[in-house]
Amino acid sequence: MEPGDSTKQARAATQLRKGVLEYCVLALMRDRPRYGVELLHALEDSGALATSQGTVYPLLSRLRRDDLVTTTWQESTSGPPRRYYALTDSGRAALDEFTRVWPGFRNAVDTFLTTPHPSTGDLA
Amino acid sequence: MKTSADLVHGYLSAVEREASALPADRRQELLADLAEHIEVTRAERPDTAIGEVLAELGDPRTIAATALAEAGNGAAGAPARGGAPARRGKIHPLVPLLMLTLPFLFAALLPHVPAAQFCSTLFRVIGAVLLCTSVHWTSVQKTTGVLLTAVLPTVAISVWISSSAAPSGDTPALLANLATLALLTGTAAWLWRVRRA
Repeated sequence: MEPGDSTKQARAATQLRKGVLEYCVLALMRDRPRYGVELLHALEDSGALATSQGTVYPLLSRLRRDDLVTTTWQESTSGPPRRYYALTDSGRAALDEFTRVWPGFRNAVDTFLTTPHPSTGDLA
Repeated sequence: MKTSADLVHGYLSAVEREASALPADRRQELLADLAEHIEVTRAERPDTAIGEVLAELGDPRTIAATALAEAGNGAAGAPARGGAPARRGKIHPLVPLLMLTLPFLFAALLPHVPAAQFCSTLFRVIGAVLLCTSVHWTSVQKTTGVLLTAVLPTVAISVWISSSAAPSGDTPALLANLATLALLTGTAAWLWRVRRA
């Protein structure tokens, strides 16, 4: 095993995560508003999307600025009030759009990864 | 022995330091989000050591780098770190500067037209608000800008009008107007020079 293999693996995961993380975060809010710590737990439980927790907050901040989510404060029975994130109409539209293109995208990548590449141009 | 509060404070200070290139409002927002996260996590998992909570949050440098990348994200999503990308949906920095200076010039040229005086004041108040909400300056620069372009001239003019000691006649008033205009232009020029792209 070459040195740096694990770094390369991590890089692939990081690159992928960068592209899909915000849509997964939006998807987590599909059915109900969620607060920050709750979102992070869900990401963590997913395994592949787990990321350094703190880096999700700048993402949430951008989603808020881009008007894809709104936030409201809600009191909690335990501890401080929580800031809940909810989808806006444009957030829902962005999520729907991603949901629409994702299967085709996923299948295309799968095809590239599993089909042996013909050495010539024609598809056998 | 460091207390939990010390550790949290140290952690947030590290994020603040690493994120110094972020606009002040974004930085404060990030710090508030992280502080809230720490507080909520401690309420939900009171037995977890604070060190562990902070370790899970991650390296301050990584968080700051992510925040910088997000802040630089244009519509195309191209990372533009350290460059001078136009921030989407933000008002051009010239707008507050012109609104703070030009109306005064009109008001000075038309001293006997009440509408001109009123519009001048209105525009300058809007200019001050735009300056304060802009992402192009730090909070210190904004405060200095508002003090020099809005508060100081207003105070000076009020004193001038209410004080019987002020010399009467057009020449002193003209000189006072010129001095104020020079102050406004100077401050605006300074703000233009120190602005963040």
